[in-house]
Amino acid sequence: MDVGATMAEKILARACGKEKVTPGEIIYPFPDLITVHDWYITHAIKTLEELGVERIWDPSRVIVSTDHEVIATSVQAAERQKAARKIAEKYNISRFFDVGFGGLGHVFPVEKGFVEPGMFVLAYDTHVTNFGAVGALGIPVITEIAAVLALGTVWIQVPKTIRINLKGRLKPGVSIRDFSQWILGRISEDVFDYAIVEYGGEAFRHLGIDARHTLCNIPIEMGAKSALVEPDDFAKQYLKTRPNPVRLDWLVMPDPDAEYAEVYEFDLSEVEPQVAAPPRPDHVFPVSRCAGTKIDHAFIGSCASGLLEDLREAARILKNRTLHPGVRLFVTPATQEIMRSAEEEGIIKIFVEAGAVITPPGCGPCAGGKIGGLAAGEVSINTGTRNDPGRLGAYDAQIYLASPATVAASAIRGKITDPREFFNEGEAADEMGL
Amino acid sequence: MKWVFRGKCWKFGDNLAIDGEIMPLRFALAREMSPEVLKHHVMEEIDPEFAKKVNPGDIVVAGKRFGQGNPHIQGLLGLKGLGLGLVVESIPRGSYRNAINAALPFLPHCPNVTQLAESGDDLEVDFQTGLFINHTQNIRRQFEPLPKPLLNIIEEGGFFAVTKKRLQQSG
Repeated sequence: MDVGATMAEKILARACGKEKVTPGEIIYPFPDLITVHDWYITHAIKTLEELGVERIWDPSRVIVSTDHEVIATSVQAAERQKAARKIAEKYNISRFFDVGFGGLGHVFPVEKGFVEPGMFVLAYDTHVTNFGAVGALGIPVITEIAAVLALGTVWIQVPKTIRINLKGRLKPGVSIRDFSQWILGRISEDVFDYAIVEYGGEAFRHLGIDARHTLCNIPIEMGAKSALVEPDDFAKQYLKTRPNPVRLDWLVMPDPDAEYAEVYEFDLSEVEPQVAAPPRPDHVFPVSRCAGTKIDHAFIGSCASGLLEDLREAARILKNRTLHPGVRLFVTPATQEIMRSAEEEGIIKIFVEAGAVITPPGCGPCAGGKIGGLAAGEVSINTGTRNDPGRLGAYDAQIYLASPATVAASAIRGKITDPREFFNEGEAADEMGL
Repeated sequence: MKWVFRGKCWKFGDNLAIDGEIMPLRFALAREMSPEVLKHHVMEEIDPEFAKKVNPGDIVVAGKRFGQGNPHIQGLLGLKGLGLGLVVESIPRGSYRNAINAALPFLPHCPNVTQLAESGDDLEVDFQTGLFINHTQNIRRQFEPLPKPLLNIIEEGGFFAVTKKRLQQSG
């Protein structure tokens, strides 16, 4: 019998000009948008040259952003940036967001209104799945982005979809980041493997676009192919206020009889702060299990948790407090626009007064620890996307992943700390309507 | 293209890393893409003699998450260069795609296959149909083969060959 389609199936069907696609099927979909980062564009173009291709399939669909290495800290890095600029010019890539003009390429395209609900996006980098925050489907293809730039398409096996319905509200001191890490421990790797995560449910009445970025970012660490949220009235309202007018022509919702590999219901109020311990992002425990571990380094930022809501969450705890001696804290607003808003709201001042260092917008230390990294034997707690050995510099450094609130609380105490401790301190409690 | 392989089994466990175990990382960093160069270094860090011991048509049998880690293609190009086939319990997506791109015949999902063969067994595998035979232990199993469109990419020679062909077709 014919069954309905999930959001991803509808988006993929439109992108390959079919009525319907079925999980497991091999298709050649054409993207509405293609994103590439930094110098990777130079590798992709090198492959194109090896293939004898002199033009990009459709440069008007391409966005290139400088985000992994914003501040060139060596001559080689400056040369890489120069090469990317030359390529943008030569191949007519007009949407090239160089240093100072965009920020993190998984975040600013949503902010600027380049991402439409129902859009199909192919990308070099894995966290393009953030575009699911407004109901678009972003799929990373890594090095094969060269084939996409040359031909406009590459084979995709239609993934299965798992549905996650959310209800309830987060308790004070608990962050959407905690929930996102918590589900990694609740759903098995086999279920996440090559699945699209489709979110919906009544909880979204209280979850803004920033929270949706986080929800669409984290499952990728467990092997999910992508993630997206049903676009609701809140999302539509957000899209109306973008600098670039956003069309809703491709917006899709799942059919009521769509077929899911698994369906889950989670209550946000059941979650407590979570920490992912080394060496994997899915090595997740309640914060109490790691509390007391001394830290040297902290970082708030990344495509998972460098949005304005994340900075607000950390600033509420850091306000009128200072970092523990010996702890360094780096804060990286994901985009230029987030930096501007944070400045306007007085959040930057709070961080600076606490003793934190603000880095330029982009990926910050999370992009391989090129800036603000770790020495051997050091311990970091941060909101980055991964904690593999060597991710932030030294191979034998320890990396814990947590919410902005947990990172802020830990940076104040000098050890891994449950942020809810700060809610019992009277004056802070009222302000924190997290 | 030859789809039926008959040769010796070379068995490995779970979580074989694409960088380091299957191929030294330096070749990924150097973006080496020649199967002829890479074939001499397959499994070098686990068994320095591996490339010398195997013969074309032999079959690597491995457990779960074969080729885990950063999706670099070099290890898979090396296996292709040696003329080996690959039968695994599971393989992460990055390496799955890279195996197709490297035109390596493989069976991606063969539950418990590491219990059906030992190193040195005489194996026969039809990568087009998914039929697995262990002649030494007298075992036959039917596994799911790759989807037809992906077998076609392997037949046509992998990523570069197919992309070139499609470029010619599209003018």
